[in-house]
Amino acid sequence: MTDAAHTMSRRQLIRHSAWFGAAVGLAVVGGEVISHIAGTADAARVQGRPTLRFAQVSDSHIGFTGKANSNVASSFSQAIDRINDLGYPPDFVIHTGDLTHLATPDQFDQVKQMMTGLRTPHVFTVPGEHDSVDDAGQKYRSAFGAGTRGDGWYSFDIAGVHVIALVNTLNLKKLGHLGADQLDFIAKDVAALSSDTPVIVFSHIPLFAMYPDWGWGTDDAAQALSNLRRFSSVTCLNGHVHQVFSKTEGNVTFYSGTTTAYPLPHPGDGPAPKPVTLPAGKLHDALGIREVSYTKGQNALALKERTLQ
Amino acid sequence: MTSAGLVTRIGIALALAVTGVSHAYLYIHGYRHIPTIGTAFLLQASVSFAFAALILLGGPAWLRWAGAMLAGGSLVAFGLSRTVGLFGFSEQGWQPSPHAALSAVAEVLTVALWLAYLIGRRFGRPDTRSA
Repeated sequence: MTDAAHTMSRRQLIRHSAWFGAAVGLAVVGGEVISHIAGTADAARVQGRPTLRFAQVSDSHIGFTGKANSNVASSFSQAIDRINDLGYPPDFVIHTGDLTHLATPDQFDQVKQMMTGLRTPHVFTVPGEHDSVDDAGQKYRSAFGAGTRGDGWYSFDIAGVHVIALVNTLNLKKLGHLGADQLDFIAKDVAALSSDTPVIVFSHIPLFAMYPDWGWGTDDAAQALSNLRRFSSVTCLNGHVHQVFSKTEGNVTFYSGTTTAYPLPHPGDGPAPKPVTLPAGKLHDALGIREVSYTKGQNALALKERTLQ
Repeated sequence: MTSAGLVTRIGIALALAVTGVSHAYLYIHGYRHIPTIGTAFLLQASVSFAFAALILLGGPAWLRWAGAMLAGGSLVAFGLSRTVGLFGFSEQGWQPSPHAALSAVAEVLTVALWLAYLIGRRFGRPDTRSA
Protein backbone atom coordinates (compact mmCIF):
# COMPACT_ATOMS: atom_id res chain seq x y z
CA MET A 1 0.00 0.00 0.00
CA THR A 2 1.34 3.40 -0.95
CA ASP A 3 1.73 6.41 1.30
CA ALA A 4 -0.95 8.12 -0.73
CA ALA A 5 -3.45 5.50 0.42
CA HIS A 6 -2.85 6.56 4.03
CA THR A 7 -3.03 10.25 3.35
CA MET A 8 -6.28 11.92 4.32
CA SER A 9 -7.57 14.79 2.27
CA ARG A 10 -8.89 17.92 3.91
CA ARG A 11 -12.41 16.94 2.87
CA GLN A 12 -12.04 13.50 4.48
CA LEU A 13 -10.65 15.06 7.64
CA ILE A 14 -13.63 17.39 7.86
CA ARG A 15 -16.01 14.50 7.25
CA HIS A 16 -14.44 12.31 9.95
CA SER A 17 -14.37 15.25 12.36
CA ALA A 18 -18.07 15.78 11.70
CA TRP A 19 -18.82 12.11 12.46
CA PHE A 20 -16.73 12.33 15.61
CA GLY A 21 -18.52 15.48 16.67
CA ALA A 22 -21.86 13.85 15.99
CA ALA A 23 -20.83 10.84 18.11
CA VAL A 24 -19.85 13.06 21.03
CA GLY A 25 -22.96 15.21 20.64
CA LEU A 26 -25.32 12.25 20.44
CA ALA A 27 -23.65 10.60 23.44
CA VAL A 28 -24.09 13.76 25.49
CA VAL A 29 -27.73 14.10 24.41
CA GLY A 30 -28.35 10.40 25.11
CA GLY A 31 -26.79 10.72 28.56
CA GLU A 32 -28.94 13.76 29.30
CA VAL A 33 -32.10 11.95 28.18
CA ILE A 34 -31.34 8.86 30.28
CA SER A 35 -30.48 11.01 33.31
CA HIS A 36 -33.68 12.97 32.80
CA ILE A 37 -35.76 9.79 32.63
CA ALA A 38 -34.08 8.53 35.81
CA GLY A 39 -34.68 11.91 37.47
CA THR A 40 -38.31 11.93 36.35
CA ALA A 41 -38.80 8.43 37.70
CA ASP A 42 -37.38 9.61 41.01
CA ALA A 43 -39.49 12.75 41.07
CA ALA A 44 -42.64 10.78 40.38
CA ARG A 45 -41.96 8.66 43.42
CA VAL A 46 -40.55 11.28 45.72
CA GLN A 47 -43.03 13.53 47.41
CA GLY A 48 -41.01 16.11 49.25
CA ARG A 49 -38.24 13.87 50.61
CA PRO A 50 -37.21 10.23 50.76
CA THR A 51 -39.24 8.01 53.06
CA LEU A 52 -36.21 7.17 55.15
CA ARG A 53 -32.76 8.72 55.41
CA PHE A 54 -30.00 7.43 57.61
CA ALA A 55 -26.23 7.43 57.87
CA GLN A 56 -23.82 4.55 58.33
CA VAL A 57 -20.54 4.93 60.14
CA SER A 58 -18.22 2.05 60.86
CA ASP A 59 -15.01 0.78 62.34
CA SER A 60 -14.03 3.78 64.45
CA HIS A 61 -11.54 1.60 66.40
CA ILE A 62 -11.37 4.09 69.25
CA GLY A 63 -8.16 3.27 71.14
CA PHE A 64 -6.14 2.22 68.09
CA THR A 65 -2.58 3.51 68.07
CA GLY A 66 -0.39 3.07 65.04
CA LYS A 67 1.17 4.70 62.00
CA ALA A 68 -1.91 4.05 59.87
CA ASN A 69 -3.81 6.67 61.89
CA SER A 70 -2.22 8.43 64.84
CA ASN A 71 -5.52 9.96 65.99
CA VAL A 72 -8.59 7.81 65.38
CA ALA A 73 -10.61 9.87 67.86
CA SER A 74 -10.08 12.97 65.71
CA SER A 75 -11.10 11.07 62.56
CA PHE A 76 -14.24 9.78 64.26
CA SER A 77 -15.02 13.28 65.42
CA GLN A 78 -14.73 14.47 61.80
CA ALA A 79 -17.08 11.67 60.75
CA ILE A 80 -19.62 12.87 63.30
CA ASP A 81 -19.27 16.41 61.95
CA ARG A 82 -19.73 15.08 58.41
CA ILE A 83 -23.01 13.44 59.43
CA ASN A 84 -24.17 16.55 61.26
CA ASP A 85 -23.40 18.59 58.13
CA LEU A 86 -25.51 16.49 55.75
CA GLY A 87 -28.06 19.28 55.62
CA TYR A 88 -30.83 17.34 57.33
CA PRO A 89 -31.05 15.26 60.48
CA PRO A 90 -30.88 11.59 59.45
CA ASP A 91 -33.70 9.43 60.83
CA PHE A 92 -31.02 7.40 62.55
CA VAL A 93 -27.32 6.65 62.50
CA ILE A 94 -26.03 3.07 62.49
CA HIS A 95 -22.50 2.20 63.61
CA THR A 96 -21.70 -1.17 62.08
CA GLY A 97 -19.16 -2.29 64.61
CA ASP A 98 -15.61 -2.11 65.89
CA LEU A 99 -16.58 0.95 67.84
CA THR A 100 -13.52 0.31 69.99
CA HIS A 101 -10.17 -1.28 69.25
CA LEU A 102 -9.65 -3.30 72.41
CA ALA A 103 -13.05 -3.20 74.13
CA THR A 104 -11.81 -1.52 77.31
CA PRO A 105 -14.35 0.31 79.52
CA ASP A 106 -12.59 3.61 78.79
CA GLN A 107 -12.83 3.08 75.05
CA PHE A 108 -16.53 2.21 75.25
CA ASP A 109 -17.10 5.26 77.42
CA GLN A 110 -15.24 7.50 74.97
CA VAL A 111 -17.04 6.29 71.85
CA LYS A 112 -20.40 6.45 73.57
CA GLN A 113 -19.79 10.01 74.68
CA MET A 114 -18.62 11.01 71.22
CA MET A 115 -21.74 9.60 69.60
CA THR A 116 -23.95 11.76 71.79
CA GLY A 117 -22.75 14.55 69.48
CA LEU A 118 -24.68 13.04 66.54
CA ARG A 119 -27.70 15.16 65.66
CA THR A 120 -30.19 12.36 65.04
CA PRO A 121 -33.13 10.94 67.01
CA HIS A 122 -31.63 7.44 67.17
CA VAL A 123 -28.19 5.87 67.21
CA PHE A 124 -27.99 2.12 66.63
CA THR A 125 -24.98 -0.16 66.80
CA VAL A 126 -23.87 -3.71 66.15
CA PRO A 127 -20.70 -5.08 67.69
CA GLY A 128 -17.49 -5.86 65.85
CA GLU A 129 -15.02 -8.52 66.90
CA HIS A 130 -12.84 -5.78 68.43
CA ASP A 131 -15.75 -4.92 70.74
CA SER A 132 -15.74 -8.39 72.24
CA VAL A 133 -12.08 -9.35 72.46
CA ASP A 134 -12.08 -10.78 75.97
CA ASP A 135 -15.61 -11.11 77.32
CA ALA A 136 -17.90 -12.37 74.53
CA GLY A 137 -19.33 -8.88 74.21
CA GLN A 138 -20.44 -8.27 77.83
CA LYS A 139 -18.91 -4.79 78.06
CA TYR A 140 -20.37 -3.93 74.66
CA ARG A 141 -23.84 -4.99 75.79
CA SER A 142 -23.46 -3.02 79.01
CA ALA A 143 -22.76 0.09 76.96
CA PHE A 144 -24.98 -0.44 73.91
CA GLY A 145 -27.11 -3.51 74.53
CA ALA A 146 -30.21 -1.91 76.05
CA GLY A 147 -33.35 -3.27 74.41
CA THR A 148 -31.56 -5.97 72.44
CA ARG A 149 -32.15 -9.71 72.51
CA GLY A 150 -29.81 -12.65 72.94
CA ASP A 151 -26.22 -11.56 72.49
CA GLY A 152 -27.22 -8.12 71.26
CA TRP A 153 -29.34 -8.62 68.14
CA TYR A 154 -32.60 -6.77 67.55
CA SER A 155 -35.01 -5.50 64.94
CA PHE A 156 -37.29 -2.52 64.51
CA ASP A 157 -39.62 -0.91 61.98
CA ILE A 158 -39.22 2.62 60.72
CA ALA A 159 -41.04 4.41 57.89
CA GLY A 160 -42.41 1.12 56.57
CA VAL A 161 -38.96 -0.48 56.45
CA HIS A 162 -38.02 -3.48 58.59
CA VAL A 163 -34.51 -3.26 60.01
CA ILE A 164 -32.62 -6.22 61.48
CA ALA A 165 -29.35 -5.76 63.37
CA LEU A 166 -27.30 -8.94 63.67
CA VAL A 167 -24.32 -10.03 65.73
CA ASN A 168 -21.92 -12.24 63.77
CA THR A 169 -18.73 -11.52 65.70
CA LEU A 170 -19.14 -13.88 68.63
CA ASN A 171 -18.13 -17.56 68.43
CA LEU A 172 -15.71 -16.69 65.64
CA LYS A 173 -13.56 -19.39 64.19
CA LYS A 174 -12.43 -17.86 60.96
CA LEU A 175 -15.60 -16.55 59.40
CA GLY A 176 -18.38 -14.63 61.07
CA HIS A 177 -21.04 -16.74 62.74
CA LEU A 178 -24.68 -16.10 63.63
CA GLY A 179 -25.58 -19.28 65.51
CA ALA A 180 -28.79 -21.23 65.92
CA ASP A 181 -30.49 -18.84 68.35
CA GLN A 182 -30.03 -15.86 66.06
CA LEU A 183 -31.10 -17.81 62.96
CA ASP A 184 -34.24 -18.79 64.86
CA PHE A 185 -34.76 -15.14 65.78
CA ILE A 186 -34.50 -14.06 62.12
CA ALA A 187 -36.96 -16.71 60.95
CA LYS A 188 -39.55 -15.69 63.54
CA ASP A 189 -38.86 -11.98 63.14
CA VAL A 190 -39.73 -11.85 59.45
CA ALA A 191 -42.42 -14.56 59.42
CA ALA A 192 -45.33 -12.14 59.72
CA LEU A 193 -43.98 -9.53 57.29
CA SER A 194 -45.49 -9.17 53.84
CA SER A 195 -43.09 -9.85 50.98
CA ASP A 196 -43.18 -6.28 49.72
CA THR A 197 -41.75 -4.93 52.99
CA PRO A 198 -38.27 -3.49 52.34
CA VAL A 199 -35.74 -5.16 54.63
CA ILE A 200 -32.41 -3.70 55.75
CA VAL A 201 -29.91 -5.89 57.59
CA PHE A 202 -26.94 -4.59 59.56
CA SER A 203 -24.00 -6.72 60.60
CA HIS A 204 -20.32 -6.14 61.21
CA ILE A 205 -18.82 -8.96 59.17
CA PRO A 206 -20.16 -9.26 55.60
CA LEU A 207 -23.05 -11.67 55.11
CA PHE A 208 -21.63 -12.50 51.68
CA ALA A 209 -18.36 -14.25 50.88
CA MET A 210 -16.28 -11.17 50.16
CA TYR A 211 -12.96 -12.87 50.88
CA PRO A 212 -13.28 -15.96 53.06
CA ASP A 213 -9.49 -16.49 53.24
CA TRP A 214 -9.35 -13.40 55.44
CA GLY A 215 -12.51 -14.25 57.32
CA TRP A 216 -14.55 -11.77 55.28
CA GLY A 217 -17.75 -13.76 55.22
CA THR A 218 -20.25 -15.43 57.56
CA ASP A 219 -20.38 -19.21 57.63
CA ASP A 220 -24.12 -19.56 58.28
CA ALA A 221 -25.31 -16.48 56.39
CA ALA A 222 -26.99 -18.61 53.72
CA GLN A 223 -29.45 -19.90 56.31
CA ALA A 224 -30.23 -16.37 57.45
CA LEU A 225 -30.66 -15.12 53.89
CA SER A 226 -32.94 -18.05 53.00
CA ASN A 227 -35.54 -16.38 55.22
CA LEU A 228 -35.17 -13.14 53.29
CA ARG A 229 -35.28 -14.38 49.69
CA ARG A 230 -39.02 -13.87 49.42
CA PHE A 231 -38.75 -10.14 50.05
CA SER A 232 -38.61 -7.90 47.00
CA SER A 233 -35.92 -5.63 48.46
CA VAL A 234 -33.23 -6.74 50.90
CA THR A 235 -30.22 -4.54 51.60
CA CYS A 236 -27.38 -5.74 53.81
CA LEU A 237 -24.93 -3.17 55.16
CA ASN A 238 -21.74 -4.17 56.92
CA GLY A 239 -18.40 -2.86 58.10
CA HIS A 240 -15.28 -4.87 59.03
CA VAL A 241 -13.50 -4.69 55.67
CA HIS A 242 -12.70 -0.95 55.85
CA GLN A 243 -13.54 -0.35 52.19
CA VAL A 244 -16.50 0.23 49.95
CA PHE A 245 -17.65 -2.89 48.14
CA SER A 246 -21.00 -4.03 46.82
CA LYS A 247 -22.49 -7.25 45.53
CA THR A 248 -25.93 -8.29 44.35
CA GLU A 249 -27.42 -11.76 44.58
CA GLY A 250 -30.92 -11.71 43.14
CA ASN A 251 -33.06 -9.47 45.32
CA VAL A 252 -30.35 -9.10 47.97
CA THR A 253 -27.74 -6.36 47.70
CA PHE A 254 -24.72 -6.23 49.99
CA TYR A 255 -22.79 -3.06 50.68
CA SER A 256 -19.58 -3.02 52.67
CA GLY A 257 -18.83 0.36 54.19
CA THR A 258 -15.57 2.14 54.76
CA THR A 259 -14.02 3.07 58.09
CA THR A 260 -13.26 6.19 60.06
CA ALA A 261 -9.97 4.76 61.37
CA TYR A 262 -7.56 3.25 58.80
CA PRO A 263 -7.77 1.45 55.47
CA LEU A 264 -7.22 -2.27 54.99
CA PRO A 265 -5.81 -3.80 51.80
CA HIS A 266 -8.05 -4.92 48.97
CA PRO A 267 -8.94 -8.61 49.13
CA GLY A 268 -5.90 -10.75 48.43
CA ASP A 269 -3.40 -7.86 48.43
CA GLY A 270 -0.82 -9.31 50.77
CA PRO A 271 -0.92 -12.19 53.21
CA ALA A 272 -3.27 -10.64 55.78
CA PRO A 273 -5.56 -7.64 56.28
CA LYS A 274 -3.15 -5.40 58.19
CA PRO A 275 -3.69 -1.62 58.56
CA VAL A 276 -2.41 0.24 55.50
CA THR A 277 -0.36 3.38 56.05
CA LEU A 278 -1.11 5.85 53.28
CA PRO A 279 1.10 8.74 52.16
CA ALA A 280 0.67 11.98 54.09
CA GLY A 281 -2.54 13.78 53.22
CA LYS A 282 -4.18 10.74 51.63
CA LEU A 283 -5.71 9.12 54.71
CA HIS A 284 -8.90 11.13 54.82
CA ASP A 285 -9.74 10.21 51.23
CA ALA A 286 -9.92 6.59 52.36
CA LEU A 287 -12.07 7.30 55.41
CA GLY A 288 -15.71 8.23 55.31
CA ILE A 289 -19.35 7.79 56.10
CA ARG A 290 -22.29 6.62 54.05
CA GLU A 291 -25.57 8.37 53.43
CA VAL A 292 -28.50 6.04 52.69
CA SER A 293 -32.01 6.91 51.60
CA TYR A 294 -35.06 4.88 50.79
CA THR A 295 -38.02 6.14 48.80
CA LYS A 296 -41.29 4.28 48.97
CA GLY A 297 -41.99 2.42 45.74
CA GLN A 298 -38.34 1.88 44.88
CA ASN A 299 -36.62 -1.43 45.39
CA ALA A 300 -33.10 -0.08 45.60
CA LEU A 301 -31.79 2.11 48.38
CA ALA A 302 -29.78 5.13 47.27
CA LEU A 303 -26.27 5.26 48.70
CA LYS A 304 -23.82 8.13 48.73
CA GLU A 305 -20.31 7.63 49.98
CA ARG A 306 -18.80 10.69 51.68
CA THR A 307 -15.12 10.93 52.44
CA LEU A 308 -13.84 12.79 55.48
CA GLN A 309 -11.79 15.07 53.23
CA MET B 1 -21.45 -1.15 0.17
CA THR B 2 -22.25 -4.82 -0.46
CA SER B 3 -25.45 -6.33 0.86
CA ALA B 4 -23.36 -8.38 3.33
CA GLY B 5 -21.69 -5.17 4.48
CA LEU B 6 -25.08 -3.53 4.91
CA VAL B 7 -26.39 -6.44 6.97
CA THR B 8 -23.26 -6.35 9.13
CA ARG B 9 -23.64 -2.63 9.67
CA ILE B 10 -27.29 -2.91 10.64
CA GLY B 11 -26.49 -5.91 12.87
CA ILE B 12 -23.78 -4.01 14.75
CA ALA B 13 -26.09 -1.01 15.17
CA LEU B 14 -28.95 -3.14 16.52
CA ALA B 15 -26.68 -5.11 18.87
CA LEU B 16 -25.23 -1.87 20.24
CA ALA B 17 -28.73 -0.48 20.70
CA VAL B 18 -29.73 -3.60 22.67
CA THR B 19 -26.76 -3.37 25.05
CA GLY B 20 -27.45 0.36 25.38
CA VAL B 21 -31.09 -0.27 26.29
CA SER B 22 -30.11 -2.87 28.91
CA HIS B 23 -27.55 -0.58 30.52
CA ALA B 24 -29.95 2.39 30.44
CA TYR B 25 -32.72 0.28 31.99
CA LEU B 26 -30.46 -0.90 34.81
CA TYR B 27 -29.16 2.63 35.34
CA ILE B 28 -32.70 4.00 35.69
CA HIS B 29 -33.80 1.11 37.90
CA GLY B 30 -31.25 1.40 40.66
CA TYR B 31 -27.71 1.05 39.32
CA ARG B 32 -27.23 4.82 39.27
CA HIS B 33 -26.95 4.65 43.04
CA ILE B 34 -23.89 2.37 42.93
CA PRO B 35 -20.71 4.45 43.14
CA THR B 36 -18.70 4.58 39.86
CA ILE B 37 -20.71 1.71 38.35
CA GLY B 38 -23.72 4.01 37.96
CA THR B 39 -21.70 6.54 35.95
CA ALA B 40 -20.14 3.76 33.89
CA PHE B 41 -23.59 2.39 33.00
CA LEU B 42 -24.80 5.83 31.94
CA LEU B 43 -21.70 6.32 29.80
CA GLN B 44 -22.01 2.86 28.24
CA ALA B 45 -25.66 3.40 27.37
CA SER B 46 -25.30 6.90 25.92
CA VAL B 47 -22.20 6.06 23.84
CA SER B 48 -23.80 2.81 22.62
CA PHE B 49 -26.86 4.70 21.43
CA ALA B 50 -24.72 7.32 19.69
CA PHE B 51 -22.61 4.70 17.90
CA ALA B 52 -25.70 2.66 16.97
CA ALA B 53 -27.41 5.66 15.40
CA LEU B 54 -24.36 6.83 13.48
CA ILE B 55 -23.43 3.36 12.25
CA LEU B 56 -27.00 2.94 11.03
CA LEU B 57 -26.72 6.25 9.20
CA GLY B 58 -23.66 4.94 7.34
CA GLY B 59 -20.83 6.34 9.46
CA PRO B 60 -17.20 5.53 8.68
CA ALA B 61 -15.49 2.26 9.56
CA TRP B 62 -13.84 3.62 12.70
CA LEU B 63 -17.32 3.92 14.26
CA ARG B 64 -17.76 0.13 13.89
CA TRP B 65 -14.30 -0.36 15.37
CA ALA B 66 -15.18 1.95 18.28
CA GLY B 67 -18.51 0.14 18.76
CA ALA B 68 -16.74 -3.20 18.89
CA MET B 69 -14.20 -1.84 21.38
CA LEU B 70 -17.03 -0.53 23.56
CA ALA B 71 -18.78 -3.90 23.41
CA GLY B 72 -15.53 -5.75 24.12
CA GLY B 73 -14.76 -3.44 27.04
CA SER B 74 -18.23 -3.98 28.42
CA LEU B 75 -17.73 -7.74 28.19
CA VAL B 76 -14.44 -7.47 30.09
CA ALA B 77 -16.16 -5.35 32.74
CA PHE B 78 -18.96 -7.94 32.92
CA GLY B 79 -16.37 -10.68 33.45
CA LEU B 80 -14.55 -8.70 36.13
CA SER B 81 -17.80 -7.99 38.00
CA ARG B 82 -18.41 -11.76 38.13
CA THR B 83 -14.90 -12.63 39.29
CA VAL B 84 -12.56 -10.23 41.09
CA GLY B 85 -14.99 -7.31 41.23
CA LEU B 86 -14.98 -3.96 39.44
CA PHE B 87 -14.63 -0.69 41.35
CA GLY B 88 -15.71 -2.54 44.47
CA PHE B 89 -18.78 -4.01 42.77
CA SER B 90 -19.57 -7.62 42.04
CA GLU B 91 -22.54 -9.68 40.92
CA GLN B 92 -23.33 -13.34 40.49
CA GLY B 93 -23.97 -15.29 37.29
CA TRP B 94 -26.59 -13.91 34.95
CA GLN B 95 -28.18 -11.61 37.50
CA PRO B 96 -29.86 -9.22 36.96
CA SER B 97 -32.01 -11.29 34.64
CA PRO B 98 -32.63 -10.92 31.74
CA HIS B 99 -30.49 -7.81 31.21
CA ALA B 100 -27.13 -9.38 32.06
CA ALA B 101 -27.57 -12.14 29.47
CA LEU B 102 -29.18 -9.82 26.94
CA SER B 103 -26.37 -7.31 27.00
CA ALA B 104 -23.63 -9.98 27.07
CA VAL B 105 -25.10 -11.69 23.99
CA ALA B 106 -25.49 -8.33 22.20
CA GLU B 107 -21.88 -7.44 23.01
CA VAL B 108 -20.55 -10.78 21.78
CA LEU B 109 -22.61 -10.30 18.63
CA THR B 110 -21.20 -6.80 18.12
CA VAL B 111 -17.63 -8.03 18.33
CA ALA B 112 -18.40 -11.05 16.12
CA LEU B 113 -20.07 -8.91 13.44
CA TRP B 114 -17.18 -6.48 13.49
CA LEU B 115 -14.73 -9.35 13.00
CA ALA B 116 -16.91 -10.67 10.17
CA TYR B 117 -16.88 -7.23 8.61
CA LEU B 118 -13.07 -7.09 8.86
CA ILE B 119 -12.65 -10.55 7.36
CA GLY B 120 -15.15 -9.71 4.63
CA ARG B 121 -13.25 -6.55 3.82
CA ARG B 122 -9.92 -8.33 3.69
CA PHE B 123 -11.07 -11.18 1.46
CA GLY B 124 -13.96 -9.59 -0.33
CA ARG B 125 -14.62 -6.45 -2.27
CA PRO B 126 -13.33 -3.32 -0.55
CA ASP B 127 -15.98 -1.23 1.17
CA THR B 128 -15.68 2.13 -0.45
CA ARG B 129 -17.78 3.83 2.24
CA SER B 130 -15.28 2.99 4.97
CA ALA B 131 -12.52 5.36 3.86
